[in-house]
Amino acid sequence: MIGVQQIRESLPHRYPMEILPHRYPMLLLDRVDEIVAGERLRARKAVTLNEPWYSDLPTSADHAYPWVLLVESWGQAAGILAAGDESNPDLRAGMVMLFGSISDARVHGPVLPGDVIEHEVRLMRMFNDTMILEGESRVDGRPVLEVGRAVMALRPAEMLTDPQPARGELVDAQTTRRRS
Amino acid sequence: MSGASSSLLVGEIELISSDDGTASTAMDVDATEPVFAGHYPGFPIFPGVCLIEFAHRSAQCTPPHGAGSIKLTMVSSARFLSPVYPGDRLEAELGWTAKDGDWQCSAVLSTKRGGRAAQVRLRYRAGDTG
Repeated sequence: MIGVQQIRESLPHRYPMEILPHRYPMLLLDRVDEIVAGERLRARKAVTLNEPWYSDLPTSADHAYPWVLLVESWGQAAGILAAGDESNPDLRAGMVMLFGSISDARVHGPVLPGDVIEHEVRLMRMFNDTMILEGESRVDGRPVLEVGRAVMALRPAEMLTDPQPARGELVDAQTTRRRS
Repeated sequence: MSGASSSLLVGEIELISSDDGTASTAMDVDATEPVFAGHYPGFPIFPGVCLIEFAHRSAQCTPPHGAGSIKLTMVSSARFLSPVYPGDRLEAELGWTAKDGDWQCSAVLSTKRGGRAAQVRLRYRAGDTG
């Protein structure tokens, strides 16, 4: 891996809301179980019927957890590993962690209320403030999601607050690849 | 998709046009979408995964002729290009291609305010139920 040695050696275990700006109903992690800074992370999310996605669902309906939220939950775990101790819960100032892209994400499922999703994230490469991650999610050891590649990057908060039309990607994965 | 299922979006998908293999859809991103309360408090931004969900629901509305029921198997890629805010009108241009026995839907998402918002490629298996 490139540049990993530049990351801090260890991080204390913390609750996700200390690191992420997300809040109910979009704070989709409950606990960070392990962080090896610059290398890997394990975290979990418990799925409950008390989430708003189920509020108007008939009892006879399909109660599978929305798979895009499974992806979001994994992405939040990745964001914690990517941010390290550079996390910034204030999105309107300084540098913020952006989810630039995801690819080769295989959705297996289903995930149901009562399941506990266990995420694993591995940092594969890091170039300046851009990180390439991969990983998977399991329920009781059963794979429910595999992520081949996710790109995250620290960028100025103005990229989110500037209302002008986009000048390019939020995170330029092409540039990242060229640097590799 | 048969029957009701849980969804993180309240907004309805509008089918603008559909031909065999291509389609256009739209959705008004209303400030009352539940995701905005927590993404983020005081600074609402439409989550990237909601852009993927919009593309997926648009694909479900416009499956290619002869594919029958389709089931998502993979997000081949999703690239987020510019933020989407409450009040934006999202539009999608979709194209279907057969790929290794599966179907792939390529979607370009945009808003009039911000231009291109995302490019999403989703892979589906045909003939499944659910």
